[in-house]
Amino acid sequence: MNATTRRIFPYLMLLLILTALGWAVSFGTLPKADFTFNNGTEIQTVDPAKATGSPEGRIINALFEGLLRNLPEKEATDPHQVIPLEPTTGGVAESYQVSADGTVYTFQLRPSARWSNGEPMTAHDFVWSWQRMLHPETGSEYSYQLHYVVNAKKYNTAEVDVGDRVEIELKDRRDPLQAFPRGTLKRGILKAIKKPKRSSPGDDGEEADSREQWIYRVEVKPTSNGKVSWDAAGTLKTFSQQPPTGSTVDHACHHVLIDFDSNVEIRAIDDRTLVIKLNNPTPYFKQLLAFYPLYPVNRECVEKYGAPNWTKPENIVTNGPYRLEFRRIRDRLRLTKNPHYWDAKNVSLETIDALAITSYTTSLNMYINGQLDWSPTMPNTIMDLLRKRDDFVSAPFMAIYFYRINVERPPLDKKLVRRALNLAINKQLICDQITAAGQQPARSFVPPQLQGYTGQQSGAHDVARARQLLAEAGYPNGKGFPKVQILYNTSDSHQEIAEFIQQEWKENLGIDIELRNLEWATFLDTLNQGDYSVSRSGWIGDYPDPNTFLDMFVTDGDNNQTNWSNSTYDELIEAAKSESDATRRMEILQQAEEILMSELPILPIYFYVSTNLVSPRVKGFSGNIQDVHPLHILRVE
Amino acid sequence: MSRFLLRRLGWMILTIWVVYTVSFFLMRVVPGGPFDSEKNVPDVIKRNIEARYQMDRPLVEQYFTHLRNIMQVDWYQFRLVGFKGLLPIPRPDFGPSYKLEDYTVNEVLAQGFPISASLGIFAMVFAITLGVTAGLVSAVARDSFYDFSFMVMATLGIAVPNFVLASLAIVLLVFNWQIFPAAGWGELRQVVLPALCLGAPFAGYIARLTRTGMLEVLGLDYIRTAYAKGLSHQRVVLRHGLRGALLPVVSYLGPATAGILTGSLVLEQIFALPGMGSHFIEAATQRDYTLAMGVVLVYTFLLFVMNTLVDISYGVIDPRVEVE
Repeated sequence: MNATTRRIFPYLMLLLILTALGWAVSFGTLPKADFTFNNGTEIQTVDPAKATGSPEGRIINALFEGLLRNLPEKEATDPHQVIPLEPTTGGVAESYQVSADGTVYTFQLRPSARWSNGEPMTAHDFVWSWQRMLHPETGSEYSYQLHYVVNAKKYNTAEVDVGDRVEIELKDRRDPLQAFPRGTLKRGILKAIKKPKRSSPGDDGEEADSREQWIYRVEVKPTSNGKVSWDAAGTLKTFSQQPPTGSTVDHACHHVLIDFDSNVEIRAIDDRTLVIKLNNPTPYFKQLLAFYPLYPVNRECVEKYGAPNWTKPENIVTNGPYRLEFRRIRDRLRLTKNPHYWDAKNVSLETIDALAITSYTTSLNMYINGQLDWSPTMPNTIMDLLRKRDDFVSAPFMAIYFYRINVERPPLDKKLVRRALNLAINKQLICDQITAAGQQPARSFVPPQLQGYTGQQSGAHDVARARQLLAEAGYPNGKGFPKVQILYNTSDSHQEIAEFIQQEWKENLGIDIELRNLEWATFLDTLNQGDYSVSRSGWIGDYPDPNTFLDMFVTDGDNNQTNWSNSTYDELIEAAKSESDATRRMEILQQAEEILMSELPILPIYFYVSTNLVSPRVKGFSGNIQDVHPLHILRVE
Repeated sequence: MSRFLLRRLGWMILTIWVVYTVSFFLMRVVPGGPFDSEKNVPDVIKRNIEARYQMDRPLVEQYFTHLRNIMQVDWYQFRLVGFKGLLPIPRPDFGPSYKLEDYTVNEVLAQGFPISASLGIFAMVFAITLGVTAGLVSAVARDSFYDFSFMVMATLGIAVPNFVLASLAIVLLVFNWQIFPAAGWGELRQVVLPALCLGAPFAGYIARLTRTGMLEVLGLDYIRTAYAKGLSHQRVVLRHGLRGALLPVVSYLGPATAGILTGSLVLEQIFALPGMGSHFIEAATQRDYTLAMGVVLVYTFLLFVMNTLVDISYGVIDPRVEVE
């Protein structure tokens, strides 16, 4: 290397380092927000149709608004109060009527409801948003919440039967990768479906794969001015998503679905009136309308920018109390008051920061240091210390911690064994000493505090009876009982509980238990494959009704995963769905839970409590069993 | 020199390709995927979600599609003293993030990289400044109280894990004497604690390296000559001695960069810094394949560049070394 290079090199490096330092220092300061809280994690998305978690829910509840809005029944004077939430007409709907048989809902939208770009909201916004949510290509995980609506499930699962009115989307989208705006739609009556020959009949996976190759013969009806003449004579055409080699079709298409407009009972009678028809009287449908998956999105915005660009702060159009100011990934999300919100005068906080801190300890540190006004997360290890604080707010939470049992693995296939295992655990001790935040031991599966429902209980802690049952099952004093494994996802608290239960079963029943922990995603995978004997599980209710807990365990339910099947149970759950008398319906569900608690494919352990640290300068905060705290009703002093 | 750089470029491309291939298949071999959840959705919906990310395509097809996207280049026309040409500027497209649905991996990296980089730079500058100074003083004032105390602190800095140091720093400097905020990002103040904790072990190591190197150099003949010629202490040590002592320190900077990159993972979680380390941990636990791949490749690139710089600076510092 020549001398000149060598001489200037150190100065070059110095210059480089100084520039780097200067650039590193150049990050400006942010003005402080009115209210800062820890949202727990970077949210998956702000799209109501695609989000699934509660951190997403907090943000979406501030950005968007549904037909109804969950608000506390009365105003909170003290954060320690537990005030139930009601799905009120504090949302986009000004008023609504439910038919006598409980299946037809008619909503009148308030005229002052606007989008954040000033445009007024109409009933068509809801129809389009819910069609998008049900559209199979959106892949919304909560789409089952609209399955209560007539024909919604059929649209969502892309089922078509011969004789149905269908809509076909041709492959002429503006952007082939974006589902909206859709390509040209042809409508008609489905005459026939030709499926390619299958090598091994009865394979569902293969059937789903081959769906793309099905050829649909449709009598396409003429359209004029956007209206379809269903009675006019049509022309026969064939369509396919991916025609098999060797055959030709008239048109290639993206989707063949039942025609939304004529089949799915979500209709905008006029700009202000929305009518929804349900399959059954579903008493908790009002709660679902106040839950974020059913919130509307702005059609023009989504179609113009496509996903995910429409969610960017510079593009997004929302209808809730707040606008999206900016997002710094895994740092914070800033919300500012939306001046076009119909109730903007009652929204007190101007700016809100939602931080994405995953570490419980850091969140606690920042709360104590005054950097956060509300922390929903805190380390479990010092829970007994935190409980004593004045700003510690806890309320019963609509969630249960339980153990799933794989009822196909002997000896767990015997009911008596499962009952014995249940009776041998001292759940009170777990709540007092291990979790120590005021949790309640669980003897039923459905949490208490659900209105009009009393949880049916399994046996109370009774070691003598447990031993007796185990002996009756053929394993006196645990003799001959094969080794059973408890599976749980890696976490200190799960480990402590599992170790305690291992000890209880060893001491009280004389049986040997092995413990196995797996990292979360691996754990889920193992659970899904059914590769476990006993597994730690948890479940949070989607809405305050026992059905969200009980319909998990129908035969082959997606969330059953225990291989347990009971036809009477299935019948009862089905019967409850179509029962319009509220009291009778609760009785039917109680009967179902009785079966569940007698058969015990699951062992209830404890009911969660929600734990929050709330600064005394925050007003309007109250507890409820869903642990939902709307941001726009909070004030700070 | 240019031949050296070109060869290095070739090796870098090869290394990145190997890292990509190994990471790609290794990530997908581990059980669990990005779309598993405790609440199961009907199969139909699950397939639609997977189709959105092209996960229903055969694995090898996904491998090549993704590779093609990463290898995208923009052809940039340039003119240099009458000589026109096309320069390929790489513009990799790492795809959408599987878990952060509103963002592409490029956007996430663009936000996270400056934060990690500034943290790393601060830590490195702190480590080098403190380390070299301490080592120098120790060597010159050998076996004195300063020497002893600096070397003890250096050992502690190396031995104590950076998260233990972080906890101590938080207890003392955040809660006891309220000088710094507990966590977060945005002000200059908030960078000081993490940079200190991150740089401490490297400062310790560099101090020891400098001391050893310095002691060795100070015993050499040409230093004796310099003293004999009547040069001042300061001139001898700083101008003539330091150069030779710095060689081991410079060669350590390569692995030090690697250490800072990996050490920042834990610290970013403790101090809630939204840097690449946070993204990396979350991507790994959530099985966000594309984001994890993006971060891994950026790290590979950084390390390679840093090591190349180190090799070049060898040739600068020590004229006996020829860079080829």
